[in-house]
Amino acid sequence: MAKQLSVGDTFTHVRECDKYRPIYYAAASGDFNPIHIDADAGKAAGLGGPILQGLCTLSWAVESVVNHVEDATRIAKVKVRFSRPVMIDDTITYTGKVTEVANGRAVVEVAAKNQKGEDVLKGAVVEVRV
Amino acid sequence: MPIDKKHIGSKYGPTTYEIGAEKLREFAYAVGGGVPSMGFTGTGAPTSLLPQLWQGREIVGFPSFCNVFAIAPFGLAVTDPKLGINLLMLVHGEQEYEFFEPVRPGDVITSTGEITDIFEKQAKDFVTVVTESKNQHGKVVVRGRWLAVIRHG
Repeated sequence: MAKQLSVGDTFTHVRECDKYRPIYYAAASGDFNPIHIDADAGKAAGLGGPILQGLCTLSWAVESVVNHVEDATRIAKVKVRFSRPVMIDDTITYTGKVTEVANGRAVVEVAAKNQKGEDVLKGAVVEVRV
Repeated sequence: MPIDKKHIGSKYGPTTYEIGAEKLREFAYAVGGGVPSMGFTGTGAPTSLLPQLWQGREIVGFPSFCNVFAIAPFGLAVTDPKLGINLLMLVHGEQEYEFFEPVRPGDVITSTGEITDIFEKQAKDFVTVVTESKNQHGKVVVRGRWLAVIRHG
């Protein structure tokens, strides 16, 4: 039985960017851009150190919704703007809110903030088949 | 110097990628807070990963596993020598995916991409690449829209 979604439903999901997370993600995804895995490269690029791959930050947003609906195959769409890099030791809290259920889709707006309360994603939306 | 708009319409690919079960697990493990090289084997999966990987008894790809194969034409675009992009100055600005079909072990995915926009704003170049990935049955599994932001030095 598919989990039902209703307007107003909310959920949270927390992920930490531990020291090795960009390297683990690089190994799993193939994204070995030096700004993600090399502290010197991150500094040289003016980023203050290595930054997590944006697509991992996106994946965590998708994961927050997948865990809530308990079915990866129901995800229909994701859209994000990367507004701030995720750095080593950042803890990102994802807060999802169902804002619309219509035409076979539930729209979930996802806020993603670091431990300082700064948005790392803006305008993040995940759509779920219902 | 800004990237020349004449490169709008440049096409990249096709690139091909065969989906492997262990790679799907590694990816779910890396995203799910685990260590890919110390992941799990056999028929079980940690409870925390169940919704990401298993639909009943069938392994499916986590939706954004497409990061692994759909990125190929985008990567070819931003490393195309005629664009002259310094990768150290490139950050990911926006990303959009539309998912049509789950991917499963054994699927062979073919991806293509096209530069659909190039513009300059506030001392940065912006390059949009649209990608499409199809499985071996010719069905579209995912469409992507990638926005690269290149800071001027």
